[in-house]
Amino acid sequence: MKQIRVALISGGFWALGALAAPYTPQDENTVLERLPMRRSDPVAAELRQLRGAALARRYFELAMSQGDPRYVGYAEAALRNAGNDPPAEVLFVRGLLKQYRHDFNGALADLEAALKQAPEHIGARAWRAAIFMVRAEYAAAREECRALEPLASDLLATGCRSAVDGATGKARPAYDELKAELEARPDAAPEIRLWTLTRLAEFAGRFGDPLLAERHFREALALGVRDDFLLASYADFLLEQGRPQEVGTLLRKWGQSDNLLLRIALAAKAQNLPEAQKHAQALGERFAAAGLRGERLHLAEEARYLLDLKGDPNAALAAASENWKSQREPRDAAVLLEAALAARERKAAAPALRWLEESGFEDARLRRLAAQLK
Amino acid sequence: MKHFLLALLLLSTTAHAHKPSDSYLALTGEGKELRGQWDIALRDLEYAIGLDADGDGAITWGELRRKQSEIAAYAFARFTVRDCRIKPGPLLVDEHTDGAYAVLQFTADCGEALPKRLELEYSLFADLDPTHRGLLRAQFGAQTVTGVLGPDQPRLSLDPEGRTRLEQFLDYAREGVWHIWIGFDHVLFLLSLLLPAVLAAPRFAPAFWEVFRVVTAFTVAHSITLALAALSVVSLPSRLVESAIAASVVLAALNNLFPVVHRGRWLVAFTFGLIHGFGFASVLTELGLPKESLLLALVGFNLGVEAGQLCIVAAFLPVAYLLRHTWMYRRVILLGGSALIVLIAALWMVERVFDLRLGLI
Repeated sequence: MKQIRVALISGGFWALGALAAPYTPQDENTVLERLPMRRSDPVAAELRQLRGAALARRYFELAMSQGDPRYVGYAEAALRNAGNDPPAEVLFVRGLLKQYRHDFNGALADLEAALKQAPEHIGARAWRAAIFMVRAEYAAAREECRALEPLASDLLATGCRSAVDGATGKARPAYDELKAELEARPDAAPEIRLWTLTRLAEFAGRFGDPLLAERHFREALALGVRDDFLLASYADFLLEQGRPQEVGTLLRKWGQSDNLLLRIALAAKAQNLPEAQKHAQALGERFAAAGLRGERLHLAEEARYLLDLKGDPNAALAAASENWKSQREPRDAAVLLEAALAARERKAAAPALRWLEESGFEDARLRRLAAQLK
Repeated sequence: MKHFLLALLLLSTTAHAHKPSDSYLALTGEGKELRGQWDIALRDLEYAIGLDADGDGAITWGELRRKQSEIAAYAFARFTVRDCRIKPGPLLVDEHTDGAYAVLQFTADCGEALPKRLELEYSLFADLDPTHRGLLRAQFGAQTVTGVLGPDQPRLSLDPEGRTRLEQFLDYAREGVWHIWIGFDHVLFLLSLLLPAVLAAPRFAPAFWEVFRVVTAFTVAHSITLALAALSVVSLPSRLVESAIAASVVLAALNNLFPVVHRGRWLVAFTFGLIHGFGFASVLTELGLPKESLLLALVGFNLGVEAGQLCIVAAFLPVAYLLRHTWMYRRVILLGGSALIVLIAALWMVERVFDLRLGLI
């Protein structure tokens, strides 16, 4: 019964459910909803063919590329009848789904079990590396990258290694190495080019060359592949460079994604646009809706929203601190440092400062923040 | 190549958007009647039973309407209330933050009276999307219960009688206590009147009665206006009320620095208490006043306020009485304290009159 709360103060709590009163549309032809794909879509046809782990994996890819968590649910359903002793591929996809829910320990265990059965499973290795990166466990991540070297292509192995280097004070060499590797592979698929270019842009930002960063972001965008990570990363870059008006143009069509809506709202606020208020409110409603489900998977974004849009540094600090327990990437550190500064709780910034110290992460903005906190 | 892609995707942080699948289930029980409204996303219904008849990737009202009975059959096979028969009503549409929802209105026929416990069972989309949740809000008279239904918790048992009247009463009383404790303006007003009260008499008994008179007058006055406002007999704009409350604190504390009123402090308490009552009423309105048990809520809240107030007085009186002859009490606490109260309340007054946020206190 722990999920039931007797709410005396219920005003507003439920109101976020529906925007208006239910109605009966007047016209038979009124379009109520547009689906993400038509029945004749090749992806839809492919999904109809697939079963089990392959289906789950395809759904998970869709969830990632479209940013739509419903596909994660479909993926989970596809794995349901996996049995007690599932094959490597099922373990692998189950691990991915666990990391999505931020059950990182469970995910690492499943991926390790998958590797026991299939030691050359490149995906399982790479994802373990990625999870260690999110947790800022760089030595462990490097270990996984090393294990990848004999298995994976040079570009992937280099990508893995440079991701670790780029976060541990060696952004310049990481950049040079990855750029050379990319140039050696003109035939690389657009998705891979996009990922690599995004990393190059981020590394360039870290060692303080915004022009170079800008160039790589633009190259990545020119590939014409939709990617939320790229858009978010470029939007953050533009915001930091004091170019909020370009964020509005960049993300005009992508407000459905919480992460991108956050950037849209931040940009609107930076320009004092009237719609800033509306965006902020929509975001607040989305976080509240997730809260109703008892889920808080977007803690870093929520902290950023609380800090910059809602102006509640104490709540922001609480969210950022909670987030830091499981996620320790540069942006997680940034929001924790800023929230601690705004809430005048220097002590709360200590874990992020320690991370900055130990990792040697170079970014000038984080260094400035750290100096203010000392 | 697939391996490669996936790994690359993750090497950036996972991000997700849109919203996971939720349905919104609202139940209202009144007397023997149980009514409900269930909002289910069109996207989910499409995935489960297929709504897009012409396969063009868009769901029209016509397509949805033609599936009405199928939707009802599908949904109500997956949500049941034990010992009650659900009768689907009209199908409507609503917009939520993440898209259009089918709105299924229904009534549940439970016979002569609602069962003592309502046993809900929910398995919508459990087979298709284990991350789906049904967000429940049930309203039985004054009581609102919320819960989350899903594969982890497919059953929920509700008590329509709800919390006993005593429990409801205590809920409101607790709110009352809490409000007086965090309502600094009320506390400061009371303290401003009480600080000099202990000086009025040489012995404890008269000092006690003086305090008693002041507190009682304040209580009677704010109870009157609290009731009048809560019952909507009188209503005042909240900015006016809040500003007047701040002004009352300023005046009460000023009177300690430059005494004008010596006797009949209880009269001051009474007069200004009338204003403070309106302030309490706005809190009570925010809490939501149940129609059926208005009196219960009102009395509960008011007694809570009084209990909270008594605690403050009980903590104040003995200490003030013991210290009353000291230089510390007369100079620092009485005069210094009053001056500080004047300052704080004056700031409040400026904030409230001009609708500013000075953010100082």
